[in-house]
Amino acid sequence: MSTGAAIEVDELVTHYGSRRILDRVDLRVESGEIMVIMGGSGSGKSTLLRHLLGLQRPTSGSIRLLGMDITESSAAELQALRRNMGVSFQGGALLSSMTVAENVMLPLREHTALDEQTMQIIARMKLEVVNLGGFGELKPAQLSGGMIKRAALARAIVMDPKLLFFDEPSAGLDPVVAADLDELIIKLRDTMQMTIVVVTHELDSAFKIADRITVLDHGRILLTGSVEEVRSSSIQRVQDLLNRRPREEEIDPDDYLRRLTGG
Amino acid sequence: MAETRQAALALSLARAGRAFVELLEEFGYYLALIVESFFWILLGPSRRQPVRLSAAVQQMVEIGINGLPIVFVLSFAIGVMLAIQGIHTLKQFGAETQVVLGIALSVTREFGPLITGILIAGRSGSALAARIGTMVVNQEIDALRVMGINPVRYLVSPVLIAMLVMVPLVTLFSDFAALLGGAAFCNIELGLSYAAYWDQSTGFMTTDDVLQGLAKSVVFGVIIALVGVTNGFAVSGGAEGVGKSTTRAVVLAISYIVLADMAFTYFLNR
Amino acid sequence: MAYQVKTQDGYDIVLLTGDVDLSCSPDARKAILASLEQGHHTLVDLSGVTYIDSSGVASLVEGFQTAKKGGLRFGLIGVSEAALSVLELARLDKVFPIHADLAARLEADG
Repeated sequence: MSTGAAIEVDELVTHYGSRRILDRVDLRVESGEIMVIMGGSGSGKSTLLRHLLGLQRPTSGSIRLLGMDITESSAAELQALRRNMGVSFQGGALLSSMTVAENVMLPLREHTALDEQTMQIIARMKLEVVNLGGFGELKPAQLSGGMIKRAALARAIVMDPKLLFFDEPSAGLDPVVAADLDELIIKLRDTMQMTIVVVTHELDSAFKIADRITVLDHGRILLTGSVEEVRSSSIQRVQDLLNRRPREEEIDPDDYLRRLTGG
Repeated sequence: MAETRQAALALSLARAGRAFVELLEEFGYYLALIVESFFWILLGPSRRQPVRLSAAVQQMVEIGINGLPIVFVLSFAIGVMLAIQGIHTLKQFGAETQVVLGIALSVTREFGPLITGILIAGRSGSALAARIGTMVVNQEIDALRVMGINPVRYLVSPVLIAMLVMVPLVTLFSDFAALLGGAAFCNIELGLSYAAYWDQSTGFMTTDDVLQGLAKSVVFGVIIALVGVTNGFAVSGGAEGVGKSTTRAVVLAISYIVLADMAFTYFLNR
Repeated sequence: MAYQVKTQDGYDIVLLTGDVDLSCSPDARKAILASLEQGHHTLVDLSGVTYIDSSGVASLVEGFQTAKKGGLRFGLIGVSEAALSVLELARLDKVFPIHADLAARLEADG
């Protein structure tokens, strides 16, 4: 096991067209840590995740995962790294043409030469871990929202990854199911020593699972700290987010008028 | 007055320029896509990332076998129509028995590949765009990429293989169906027996005529695959986006097929 | 990973050492299944295992299932904390007969 940082983001700047989405973002996630990236919609947290996953190329800055800079790595290096990464997408992103078990088995099929029987046992074991034992033969369309998220988690951990990314684990779930998933995330870290990055806007969930929290707003990092530090932060915008207060921005009259008239 | 006209001209020029650049970009994308697809087909196995043959077979069934009934019906109808028109025209010269030659050549060189291409573009090109577009919307493509599964290898290469195999085969089937339609009508109208019709047809036709049609159909298959896939990958904006892209894929594929057909016919008959 | 097989007190004992991961679990699987196919009662000794991943655990599961079908005794001994927590995650600690060592197992057998 390597010690130290599992993820190091340095001076990350990204644009969408000419609009700047992320502005000099620095982030460090220690090995075996659960880091929650928090922020409202439009904060840039989804964009940050897409960059951490290597799905988009940044304008500038570097992203090191398990010691490798993915902004400079070759396709083959990235391919090797991806075997150590698991991702659970917000909507599950299970392949709808396959059964749940086939979905979970897919990374094994593509990346290993294991015996068919072994792969099936692993897939069923992972489904047991996420409490979906016996649901393997169903198609994703037959599952409820909470089950889809758990199935997606099973697929994400099937290769026993060192890094696990989880996009909005509790969004759209009822509180009991959401709490179950939170427990599961903590259990995975404790038993498998995974480094886990969770992107969410749900405060309860964030405070429950996080070792540290990064608060993102308007593409900038407002604060990175422990749960206590975030709770007691004196930064106004952080408190607004925690107390769900609508933003009160200062208005530049000229700028505002220009936006309205399109001039 | 003159100034506004000048401005309008400049604007439309700019618009035409932009459209042209976009068209170039799209063709560049097609080229990159076909190169990458073949890369995976040829080199995937040695990199331990082979193209899934089972997926290709599944696509072949979808593209070829499931479309056979409709291909048969339409091709048969085309054959009948060609016979009707041919007999009608040739009667004026008292040469209605020459209709067999006309049907044989126009079917194998033109109508077989064209009707097959258009039908497969409508059936499978749209299904392809819709399938891949839905996968984009559901983040399934992202999921494939983070799992280290190249979407081109996983989704596009099998489709390309299936098209390259099935479009020519279905074209052959279409040729036969259309000739059968022509034969049926000639049998009724001119009292020409099926055997005589078949002998005359094969007597007139050369292998080149059939091959010309098949060569076209290969190109049509590639067009359908590339246009369908590209429009699928380009989907944005949810379910509505999928609908738009699907329509665009069919219209574009059919347009390119007809244009390519024209170019082909022109150059092959010089 | 390395493994060795020895026979003692009516059991084949498959001793696994090192990291049991994707690269070597097929070997472990073969070793376990080979003992069972010869009709031997089998124990897997995990005391030397520093890390075991899902493919390793899956091989143990398959071994247990094969033993049950053949009416043979099967079990794990010398399960480390780390290995145990991996088994617990899938609640497999409740499935496998787990004992401290061969002596404990023999005592349990009666």
